[in-house]
Amino acid sequence: MRRCLDEGKLQSYFDGELSIEMMESVTSHLASCVTCAALARELEEESALLNLAFSAEFEASVPTERLRERINEAVLGDRLATAQSTEKVGGLAGFFSGLLNFGTQRTLGFASLAVILAFAAIAGVVKMRTTTAPSLDDKASAQAGNQPKANNNQQVAQVPPVSDSTPIQQQIKTPVHELPKRFVPVRYSKPAAPASTAAANHAVKLLPGERSYLQAIARLDSTIKSNPKSMRPALQVEYQRNLAVVDRAIAATRSAAKSNPNDPDAADFMFAAYQSKVDLLNTIADARVGGGRGH
Amino acid sequence: MTKKLFVVWAVVGLLLSLAGSTPAHEITENPNEKIDRSMAVDPQAIVTLCVASGTLKVRGWDKNEVHVRSMDAAKIEFRRIDRVKDTTTPATRVDVMVLDRTTAANPRLDCLALASVEMDVPAGATVQVQTRDGDIAITGIAAAYAGSQNGDIEIDHVTKVVEAGSLGGSIYLKDSSGRVNLSSAGGIVEVINVRPATDDDTLEVGTVSGDIQLNHVSTPKVSVKTVNGTVTMTGPLAKAGEYGFQNMSGDLVLAMPRDASFRLNAKVSEKHSIVSDFVLKYLSEAPPPPPAAKPGKPAAEGKPAKTPEAKGKVMPRTGPIVTPVVVEKPTVVTAPYVLRRVNAICGTGDASISIASFGGTVSLKKL
Repeated sequence: MRRCLDEGKLQSYFDGELSIEMMESVTSHLASCVTCAALARELEEESALLNLAFSAEFEASVPTERLRERINEAVLGDRLATAQSTEKVGGLAGFFSGLLNFGTQRTLGFASLAVILAFAAIAGVVKMRTTTAPSLDDKASAQAGNQPKANNNQQVAQVPPVSDSTPIQQQIKTPVHELPKRFVPVRYSKPAAPASTAAANHAVKLLPGERSYLQAIARLDSTIKSNPKSMRPALQVEYQRNLAVVDRAIAATRSAAKSNPNDPDAADFMFAAYQSKVDLLNTIADARVGGGRGH
Repeated sequence: MTKKLFVVWAVVGLLLSLAGSTPAHEITENPNEKIDRSMAVDPQAIVTLCVASGTLKVRGWDKNEVHVRSMDAAKIEFRRIDRVKDTTTPATRVDVMVLDRTTAANPRLDCLALASVEMDVPAGATVQVQTRDGDIAITGIAAAYAGSQNGDIEIDHVTKVVEAGSLGGSIYLKDSSGRVNLSSAGGIVEVINVRPATDDDTLEVGTVSGDIQLNHVSTPKVSVKTVNGTVTMTGPLAKAGEYGFQNMSGDLVLAMPRDASFRLNAKVSEKHSIVSDFVLKYLSEAPPPPPAAKPGKPAAEGKPAKTPEAKGKVMPRTGPIVTPVVVEKPTVVTAPYVLRRVNAICGTGDASISIASFGGTVSLKKL
């Protein structure tokens, strides 16, 4: 299968409507075709997001054009709101941070400005009176320049005003870091017991228990995308590479679970693949947040 | 004369103002000058260190002191967070603040420095280190928590706890004991000579596409999960040990001594095999589940449908041991099921090996 897959076939693939041979053919094609793999991921993410946002509508009827518009509007609005709130918090925080940051350098700068103004005033007076007496100002400027430096040399072992009530054991069990306050905590473990999937099955023919994973994945994905900072190239490459691996595993295990619906082990493999994706997205979400200490 | 004086003072003032607008807070004049800081700490102190980019090296030593040095940093500070009123006592919890030239002006820009750092800590200390781009090396401490996005992590001679995660880098752990949890998305994970410190200690390793190698691991509870990596475990099994392996498409190789004694519980795909150098007593292979019930006709509970392979012969029952079947070496166990379950025993079955392999070959090799 050298030609790229069309969207209809991909959708059928995700819906499990293809024959086993065709399923395997598509899977192998996705493994070798970057374009189709990207399209497949996009399709899968759209489906997951769709399921998440409009589960109620899925129960009612086949989506109409009007509903499709509502979906697009809702998704767009949600993304805009997330982006705006993130930017707003970051912008305000940065603004106040800049205003309130009275470091020694800035203080020194203000002091220097004051000295210049004083010099200008004195010079004006001197010029007017045609007299000269600048020695006192010289001392003052020297003091203004030296005093902050003396403070700078003080350091080591400051006790910070950190309000930290978390038990030590609990803290050190977080090896990487915790999410900043402004960030919505998004760590998902294995989703809870499978919800009723009648609606989901009606819409995209999800397997029992699959829906909760897709919801978790959609949330994590939107969280990752809501971060205004662009992903670093190295992280992006690693992310995409491993995401493709996990997606292939999901496709293969899903196919097996679909063709063996009464085999719990087949479903277990599929859920394990989904869990791998959840873990990967969690890792990426953590990495996107940036540095931080685990307390 | 007046004009000259005015110009002189104006220049002095301008220079001072420029000095105030540039970061001058303890910045070394010489960029290659080493910054060196020490602090007395508790023998079992918890020390954290994080930078945005740079290599981090941590070494345990016999002094109750944290000693940090860097050639790249503009400033290094210790921040006590143990909330002890008497600050003359050794600190039990310390954050090592590393600031470079760009972040020195604002100490709140924590973990954003671009600097390589070396740190000595008490041998009983717990250390948490993190870097975004850079390698991490830790040796000779009690507990290590390490995270890097792209760099490799090397840990050895840690006695109680090791937790390490990397996105693209590899993780190497050797000559250590205690609870271990290692995860990498794309890098390999290699564990050599690791043993338990307590009865409850476990070893957990997970990757997405990275290979996993375990050599001479005597931790009794081992859990290995990978999506696409090859898993290789070499060495004797712990008596009564529990080993769990799960992979989606990679191969699994278990190389064990000739006298290895284990019980095997495997779920493998039809297309791949279990190849064993060991003589296995084949206990049971569960029949496949019934085919998909047609809509409106749910399958009767407790009455699995017969498969074509089941016709004309008695399928072994699951549960109690059926007549043991001795499988001679080398063995390729094949069965016509999409997913097969294999229960077998080797020797007296001291250790327990559980395998869930969706798309890889399982090899049991003798050392």
